[in-house]
Amino acid sequence: MSETAGPAATPLAVRAERRRPVGLLLVAAPVLLMAWLIIWPIISAIIRTMWRPDATGNVGFNLSSYAFFFSDQYSLNNLFITLWTTGVCAALLLLICLPIAIYLRFATGRLPTYVQALAIFPLFVPSIILAYAFIRVLGPNGMVDILLNSVGLPKIDTPYLSPWGPVIGLVWDNIPLTVLILLAGLGSVPTAAIEAARDVGARRMQVFWYIILPRIGNSILVALSFAVLGIFSAFTLPYILGPAAPEMMGPFMQRTFRDLYDPLNAMTQAVITFGFCIAFGLFYVRSVARNQGGGA
Amino acid sequence: MTSTAGAAFGMVMVPRMVSAAEGVIDWYTSSDSNILDFWANTVKPAFEAANPGITINLVDAGDSAGVQAIGERAMAAMATGTDPQADFFEAGNAQLPIGAVDAGIYVNMREAGLSNIDKVNPLGFDSDYSLPYRGSQVLLAYDSTKLDPADVPTTWDELVTWIKANPGEFIYNRPDKGGSGGNFVRRAVHQANGLDPDAFTVENYSDEYAEETLSKAWEILADIAPHLYDGGAYASGNTQSIQLLAQGVVTMVPVWSDQILQAIDQGVLPETTGLVQLQDLALAGGFTRSIVLANGVNRDAALKLADFILTEEIQSAILTELGGFPGVSWDYIDPALKERFAAIVPETIPTFPSGQWEAAVNDGWYRNVAPNVTRD
Repeated sequence: MSETAGPAATPLAVRAERRRPVGLLLVAAPVLLMAWLIIWPIISAIIRTMWRPDATGNVGFNLSSYAFFFSDQYSLNNLFITLWTTGVCAALLLLICLPIAIYLRFATGRLPTYVQALAIFPLFVPSIILAYAFIRVLGPNGMVDILLNSVGLPKIDTPYLSPWGPVIGLVWDNIPLTVLILLAGLGSVPTAAIEAARDVGARRMQVFWYIILPRIGNSILVALSFAVLGIFSAFTLPYILGPAAPEMMGPFMQRTFRDLYDPLNAMTQAVITFGFCIAFGLFYVRSVARNQGGGA
Repeated sequence: MTSTAGAAFGMVMVPRMVSAAEGVIDWYTSSDSNILDFWANTVKPAFEAANPGITINLVDAGDSAGVQAIGERAMAAMATGTDPQADFFEAGNAQLPIGAVDAGIYVNMREAGLSNIDKVNPLGFDSDYSLPYRGSQVLLAYDSTKLDPADVPTTWDELVTWIKANPGEFIYNRPDKGGSGGNFVRRAVHQANGLDPDAFTVENYSDEYAEETLSKAWEILADIAPHLYDGGAYASGNTQSIQLLAQGVVTMVPVWSDQILQAIDQGVLPETTGLVQLQDLALAGGFTRSIVLANGVNRDAALKLADFILTEEIQSAILTELGGFPGVSWDYIDPALKERFAAIVPETIPTFPSGQWEAAVNDGWYRNVAPNVTRD
């Protein structure tokens, strides 16, 4: 209000300059909280696993716990199953969510509203509930088996307690976020461009490939890095639905820390997990930076 | 018996900002929800009615590591002279966290002046700093519509023969995720080492001795693995094993006596569920021991509670409502009840030490038994 009443000549840039301290103050709280609760524990874990006493008690640079991890087949199998689960989940998420998002972007009428509600629904289901629902439906002698049996079909080879159990659970769990991010990205695809392409005779796949895909590459990258970061360190679903061994890194770390009373190796596993996550995180940061640099 | 709820893992991490209140006993358990229900519905109302002005705040610490974390907090609080916000552990191990007794955070129960302390079954004590108030054993539960009670295996060798003859009909849970599978694994350790529970004590642990004794057990368990459910799958907790039995997926699982009796009682499992204990050597079980924290604000109220759970009222309820067996000697139990529960009351229950053995058994199993799976 006062802005309009006062001298209107204050240039925009100067006003932004004056507001900067306020803006910095506003972000200070979350940044400090993140430094305290996330950044510091990471640095502390890295230091404590690399700078510690060796067998003779001399404190110094010591990578033996990392050497153990990367020479221990059991630990490597756990890392591999985590990478496998993450990769398969990311591929499935893209395959499932991209068509849903495109449908929601371009369809009209009331049906898309219901589809969207359905796609967002997993967001409101806690994963522990999802895990038990999964067991009752897809588990042995679950609802699917009962339905198949009633029409004389054989039972399914249930994914419960196999590596596919966590995959199915995690994909379902991550659908809402992925759909929402892709949908936001699709908002930047102008309907006019598509109509123009259709007018000159482009087929559906051509429209997707030449018009839509180039514009949402960034959103796909962001959606996938979000999903991958969550899946890589997932705990509840792999713990309840997955096999006893190999374990994903989440249950493996928890078991090493709490059941084996072995904080050193648990921290080593955490640092290695973090190393993989930061690689995916950099994708995200890079694409955000590129987006903002482009003035979008 | 350790709980399996993974969700509780996060809850333990949430710091409590409030200070402990006078007259509110902060109580923690590592047990499954049937024990928590028993406390919420039976012990808490009875105690609060008998002791006006004192209430119990029941907290699920998730698993034994969760209770241990509270113990560590109490040690830290002791060092700084602050309030640990904890008064009573429903199930605890006085040896853990290491150095707890020396630090003086646990009350010596024998010297605490409890009026009922002389009634406690002498077999139950493993330390002066914890109070054995209930017991439980692991049994084999089976579906008697699929397996004739006359053909049920009653020795380990018969059980192995049965498992191999009926592939896919048996499952046990991961040893660290619940005591029913844990004690099944420990029974295999006993089997591999001359059926002698005395061969294992907290003190005689060494890496070499563990390697020598446990590796024989891993051979036994790896041998039956391909004949288990789904060619070697392991349930992720006590409850998940019972769920697989309830859904008719498997015919037999190891179970906690108290949990299975309650499940049958509540109709989770049908009346046709049979129970059997191995006769050559029972599956390991043991007493659950409560701990009172010496530096808690409500130490005296917590000691009152410790005395209260040894009364005939609660000890009988452990039999009738929980399906466990009492922590006091049988002479202090109503003879009629003793008669009624004769079948589930063992003469002796073999036990297996915790301490360093626990990590050795758990990790050894994960590395040597769990991966030997060829699944499709």
